[in-house]
Amino acid sequence: MTPLDNVADLRDTDLNDVELDRRLASTWATPKGVWGALSTVDHKIIGRRYIITAFVFLALGGILSLAMRLQLAQPEARFIGPDRYNQIFTMHGTNMMFLFAVPVMEAMAVYLVPLMVGTRNIAFPRLNAFSYWMYLAGGLLLWIAFAIDTGPDVGWFADVPLSGPQYAAGKRADIWAQMITFTEVSALAVAVELVVTVFKQRAPGMSLDQIPLFVWSMLVTSFLIIMAMPAIMIASTALILDRLVGTQFFNPAEGGDVLLWQHLFWFFGHPEVYIIFLPAVGMVSTIVATFTRRPVFGYLGMVMALIATGILAFGLWVHHMFVAGLPRLGESFFTASSMAIAIPSGLQIFCWLATIWAGRPVFKTPFLFVIGFMVIFVIGGMTGVMVASVPFDTQVHDTYFVVAHFHYVLVGGAVFPLLGAIYYWFPKITGRMMNETIGRWAFGLIFTGFNLTFFPMHILGLQGMPRRIYTYQPEMPWSGLNMFVSLSAVILAAGFLLFFIDAIRSALSGPVAPANPWCASTLEWATSSPPPAYNFSRMPVVGSLEPLVDNSGALPVASGLFVDRRELVVTSVVGALPEARESSPGDSIWPLWSALATTVLLIWSIFTPWAVVWGSVPLAIALTGWFWPKGTKEDDA
Amino acid sequence: MVRGRTLANRLLLTSALLALTVGCGFLGWMRQPRELRTNPPVLADLSRFRLMSNGIGGAPPESYFAEAEPYENDAYNLSQGKRLYTWFGCAACHGDGRGAAGPSFLDGWWLYGPEMVSIVASIRDGRPHGMPAFRDRMTIEQIWQLAGYVQTIGAYSAKVAATGRNDGPQTRPSENRAPAVMLFEEGPVGVNPDQGPSP
Repeated sequence: MTPLDNVADLRDTDLNDVELDRRLASTWATPKGVWGALSTVDHKIIGRRYIITAFVFLALGGILSLAMRLQLAQPEARFIGPDRYNQIFTMHGTNMMFLFAVPVMEAMAVYLVPLMVGTRNIAFPRLNAFSYWMYLAGGLLLWIAFAIDTGPDVGWFADVPLSGPQYAAGKRADIWAQMITFTEVSALAVAVELVVTVFKQRAPGMSLDQIPLFVWSMLVTSFLIIMAMPAIMIASTALILDRLVGTQFFNPAEGGDVLLWQHLFWFFGHPEVYIIFLPAVGMVSTIVATFTRRPVFGYLGMVMALIATGILAFGLWVHHMFVAGLPRLGESFFTASSMAIAIPSGLQIFCWLATIWAGRPVFKTPFLFVIGFMVIFVIGGMTGVMVASVPFDTQVHDTYFVVAHFHYVLVGGAVFPLLGAIYYWFPKITGRMMNETIGRWAFGLIFTGFNLTFFPMHILGLQGMPRRIYTYQPEMPWSGLNMFVSLSAVILAAGFLLFFIDAIRSALSGPVAPANPWCASTLEWATSSPPPAYNFSRMPVVGSLEPLVDNSGALPVASGLFVDRRELVVTSVVGALPEARESSPGDSIWPLWSALATTVLLIWSIFTPWAVVWGSVPLAIALTGWFWPKGTKEDDA
Repeated sequence: MVRGRTLANRLLLTSALLALTVGCGFLGWMRQPRELRTNPPVLADLSRFRLMSNGIGGAPPESYFAEAEPYENDAYNLSQGKRLYTWFGCAACHGDGRGAAGPSFLDGWWLYGPEMVSIVASIRDGRPHGMPAFRDRMTIEQIWQLAGYVQTIGAYSAKVAATGRNDGPQTRPSENRAPAVMLFEEGPVGVNPDQGPSP
């Protein structure tokens, strides 16, 4: 396809290693300076930005939770007023779900999946850059709005009619709904990139039964995102229309439906939990395999469990609506499906246990976090089965029992594996090791602090303490436990502080990491730490699930790629047989301009519907610039 | 080493951004929050507006401007006013704003002028031909909130801060659609309905 009449045949076949690396670096490297940083499409740079931004949002959300704990530590406290408290708990939930949990999992995948499947860049790299800028803009929108006392105050799921035009005065609910649009656009973009990367850009020979479990989990997660997120985009857009131009989607008096909101939101909201949890499953599987020195027990079962969880995730959203007044048969059905999700989750837990049982576990920090995950997640899963039962749920609905349950599931199920994953992949990403001693302390503090903070909340919930209250009377029997919880939160916060200090310190001055410090078996460890801009000097060829174990001497490689343009191998979906050499787009500033134009349109449209008309002009210009044929070799297929 | 330095720069940038965000948050914390319970001295001052001797127009209290005219520009106060409109039965005479036994608010024709003080005085002290005085049934703050909402119903142009539609049957465009504007473009003469006997 590419004309072969070049003066010199610049393929990698006959070049020696030094010359090859020099030429690849000049083709793939991101230029220095601000312009280079703004126009880069390198998945590693964008992934790193994504991860750092998500952790900044984690820290900010954590500060909010400490503020809430300070207010709740004693009855009738005067630290935060009711209006501000409403904003704070809404911000905490919204920020943690939409700006931390989902993006950070995708960020890890943006960085790791191309490396794990042995390719040189993610598919649609410019879309990837666009998605990061959209995510950043959405996060800034939410936080700046909060800073000027316009933060959303309607809860993280913004039920109508509370969030509708009659009861939510001002622009607070609009900020929430539009922030959803930002994060969903960025999440959908990353999901599409990941699906294409996994299906079409795997290293030659890496058939579907040989891709790492983390890649499998991200593939399933991406499909979940693609199917779940449109529901919430419809819901949030309908909410903005109701509020701004007087449509009647959620107004029963004019033929709308209040329950429609809950159905649309939770049709997204429940798969959202698995969008956060399934990547964590992949991380846990990877870490368990490495630190027990053997492949994960029951690879096929694990993959089937991932897919089964993904499918079941769409069949149980109604369990969030048990007290909304639904037919009995519906409640029974969704009770059954909610309990059924424990089967694939249990299968995964037992597979990991079997792996540890049969392996030789090495108790390094990443593995400690995995063990912490298993303990906490199993407890969260147990209370999950409890609240899946309608009579019990009716009792504890909107109490601190539910708060305890979902923190056990989300922090245990996602944050613990994520912290383990950071300790695990930190050397690959930064080229430096994190401190093992501090890591153990951080784990100890976070694990202890987490359980001491959140386990008493079960009891508070059973004692009837409702969610979202900004204070309570001294006569209530809750003050002792609340003080205990608030003090324990300080331990938890100290653990996270230690983690952040360790990460920053190690990134600056940690011991230099070798290419494969953990003796792991997957492809990302086959290249240097951190990887060069082109990931691999020569395209690896894979013949097994553990390429670095089974080829301990040297990894077989494919050749024949041009080095004077960005080129990667496209392979078939199932067998990963090489199909074509495909060019990969180069750096471009247009994704940034497009994201800016979209940002202007979306924020403007909170105030007037005409923004959609006039705002589309700069957006059209930016997209035209983005897709304008440049006439360079990179545009050839 | 070079890589270490660029990484250090990035981390520096990140922590600068973090500091900026925390700073923003702090500024927001210091900013005047939404008032669910207004300062008593400010409340007391709300009654001290001055009215022209003919009962039309006048000057609001100084503190009203110091607080940035909250009952006209604050969506929360306007939406409170909308609730008061229902709770105190304004609709019995004024309908959904189109008027019935009482005058309309939608046609842009103000018997006592569109100033806040006129509307506040109308609600507080009542007017001839049937408008009762609400001074003993509502607090002065509620009267100002209701007056702000009544003014919004017949606003000359769309306001950024305006109440949305109610979750009920829709009998006219919602307040944030600036319903009176179209009527004004045709000029006040042709569309002015019969307002009953003049004051």
